[in-house]
Amino acid sequence: MNSKPCLTLEDCKKIGAASEAEARKNKWNVTIAILDDGGHILWLERMDGATPFNAEVAIEKGRSAAVSRRTTKNWEDRVGAGRNALLNMPVLPIQGGVPIMVGAECVGAVGVSGVQSHEDEQIANAGIAALGLKV
Amino acid sequence: MSLKPAVQAVGAAILAAFALGAAAQQPNPMDVVPDKMPFDIPYGAPISLEHAQTAIAAALAESKKRGWKLNVAVVDSGGNLVAFARQDGAQLASIAISEHKARAAAKFRRETKAFEAGIQGGNNYLITLDDVVGSRGGIPLVQDGKLIGAIGCSGGTGSQDEVGCKAGAATINK
Repeated sequence: MNSKPCLTLEDCKKIGAASEAEARKNKWNVTIAILDDGGHILWLERMDGATPFNAEVAIEKGRSAAVSRRTTKNWEDRVGAGRNALLNMPVLPIQGGVPIMVGAECVGAVGVSGVQSHEDEQIANAGIAALGLKV
Repeated sequence: MSLKPAVQAVGAAILAAFALGAAAQQPNPMDVVPDKMPFDIPYGAPISLEHAQTAIAAALAESKKRGWKLNVAVVDSGGNLVAFARQDGAQLASIAISEHKARAAAKFRRETKAFEAGIQGGNNYLITLDDVVGSRGGIPLVQDGKLIGAIGCSGGTGSQDEVGCKAGAATINK
């Protein structure tokens, strides 16, 4: 029988707090979504000033990263390089979604939306770093 | 030469019987016109993240105390998601249901229990209204007389959901 690690609500709170701290430090108002490996939401916060649109996009970025096991930047880069056929894939190919990898296992993802895409990803990475996982 | 006149006569008799039956029935409660608007709570500013998280923390604490596993969502006065948390082991279907309950409570400005009671009481037309959820566990959050959002819980029975929901709502609805 195989077993695999799984995010807890406590893990999510750690990720969320670190992501929020990174956003606040830069005076960014964003939505942070944390999803499990099946792309289902575990935790979400929309900071004051972030839009309902941000909430939808953050969830979709996170879902894309979780189920594809790769960053949404990876998707965006490949589309940007001319692989237009990828626009037909069921993911949101916009930077800001980052999978949470425990060794070779994807346990979920963080999706952020609200500022520039590379800044969204910076917030997501800051959150995941709080778990202290070996990369 | 046909059966038509006979059929028509029978038809007319049936219609007449229905009309008589209707006249003998109680008046239709749906025909009552109240003077005042029901659930007339003005919409206020959207709930702050801080308040939303305080409400969710209270709901989770109540659920945890009882050994339950709930999903809890808070939406703002526009029905849009502000904060969400899923307890370890809570069922997946309830992610969407908790948000739906919160959204319905905000958009209809009433507890989703009202829909549950209405449907159970035979007002099946309620099911045809847009975005209704016929289960308790969605409660509006009202501050200074204005609706600033709503909280929704799902994962247990409706009654369990409501217990979590009330604990969360109590942090705002003083």
